[in-house]
Amino acid sequence: MAATLCSRLFPRPGWLPLAQSIRHGSKAVTRHRKPVHILKKKLMAITEYIPPKPSAPPGALAPPTRKAEQESGLVKLLKKDLQTVFNECKMVAVVHNNATNSEDMLILKHRLHRHNISIKFFPHQVMRSFLAGSRYRNMEPLFIGQTALFVSKEPKVREMLQVLRGTPQMVLLGALIENTLLSQQGVVGYSRLPSLTSVQGELVSGLTMMTSQTVSMLQHHPAHLSALLQQHLKQQQTGGATEPAATEDAPKAEEAA
Amino acid sequence: MAASRGGLVLKAVKKIMIQFCPFENNVRSTRDFLTMVGSEKARSTNINCEVTTEVKHDKSEPVIDITFIDGERLVMKGAKLTTQEMLSALQARCSAKDPQAKAAAKK
Repeated sequence: MAATLCSRLFPRPGWLPLAQSIRHGSKAVTRHRKPVHILKKKLMAITEYIPPKPSAPPGALAPPTRKAEQESGLVKLLKKDLQTVFNECKMVAVVHNNATNSEDMLILKHRLHRHNISIKFFPHQVMRSFLAGSRYRNMEPLFIGQTALFVSKEPKVREMLQVLRGTPQMVLLGALIENTLLSQQGVVGYSRLPSLTSVQGELVSGLTMMTSQTVSMLQHHPAHLSALLQQHLKQQQTGGATEPAATEDAPKAEEAA
Repeated sequence: MAASRGGLVLKAVKKIMIQFCPFENNVRSTRDFLTMVGSEKARSTNINCEVTTEVKHDKSEPVIDITFIDGERLVMKGAKLTTQEMLSALQARCSAKDPQAKAAAKK
C-alpha cells in the first residue's frame, strides 16, 4: 500500500505531501512517541513563552535591599533581663558545665541559694548581640558551648569557689566582679584579699606610725623621757658637742616634765 | 552515640587533662571535646578515669593530655584541630588498646 501511494504522497522530491491521512496510524495512547498533529504543533509554536527582556543589564540596576531582620519579642525580653542582671549584680561569673545531671544541678542550686547566688541561662546569640552593644565586649569569647551564669548582688567569691570545688564538672572561666573582668586566677586572688575595712585600717596605721610613736613616747613617764635625753647629752659630749647647748637642753626638759 | 560502636569507650584511659585559655579564639574545638568527654555516656564507660580541667590566662595553646592505663600518653594541641579529628584519634587508640576485653565479652 505504501508503494502505490508513494507517487501521490511525494509528488516532487523535498516537498511535504499535499494530503495527510489522520485516521490511519496508531491509537491515542502508544508506547512510542507519537508525532504531534500539525495543528497542535502550530498552536504550540504560536503560544511559546517569550521572556521579557530587561531594559538594562542586570549589573546596572541597584541590588534589591534585604529587609533588616527584626528581633523577635522573646529576644527583646531576654535582652532586658540581661540588662537588669548586669546593672544590679556586682558579680557575674561564667561557668562551663560538662553535662550535669538534674540532681547535681538541684544540689548546686540549693548550695548557691544559701549565699544568694542564682544560676541563669541565656542563649548564646542573644548574649553575643547584647555584649556587642554594651561595654562588656571582651566577655564575648567566653560564651562557647554549654555555659551557665552565676549572678549575685554581693561578690561572695569564696563561697562560690568552695561550692564549685565540690562539683568537678563545672569549670569557672571568668567573672565580672564590680565592673572588672577577671580570669580564674584573678578570681582566686580576689577571694584571698582581706576585706575593705581591714585594708583601710592597715593603711591608716601605716601612715600614722611615726606620729603615733612620738605621741606614745611623750606620754610615757617623764622620768623615762629625761633619762633618754640625758643619755643623748652624754653621747653628744663624748662626740665633742658644746657644753652650753647641753646645759640649756637639761633645764628645758625639766620644765616640760 | 552507642557506647560500643560509635561512642567513646574510655576503659583504657587513666586520666584526661585539658588546659585552655578561654579568652582566646581557638578554643572552640577543645571545649567541645571537653563536653563530649565529660558527658555522662563517656564517663559511665570508665568511672575511675579522671577528667581535670585547667583554666589559664597566658595566651597559651589549648592542650589535651591523655594518659592511658599502660602508660602511653597522647598529647593533642587543639589550636588547629577539629573536635571530630580529636575524637576519632582518641577512639582509634582506645579501641586498639582494648580489643581483647571487648572481643572476649562479645564471644
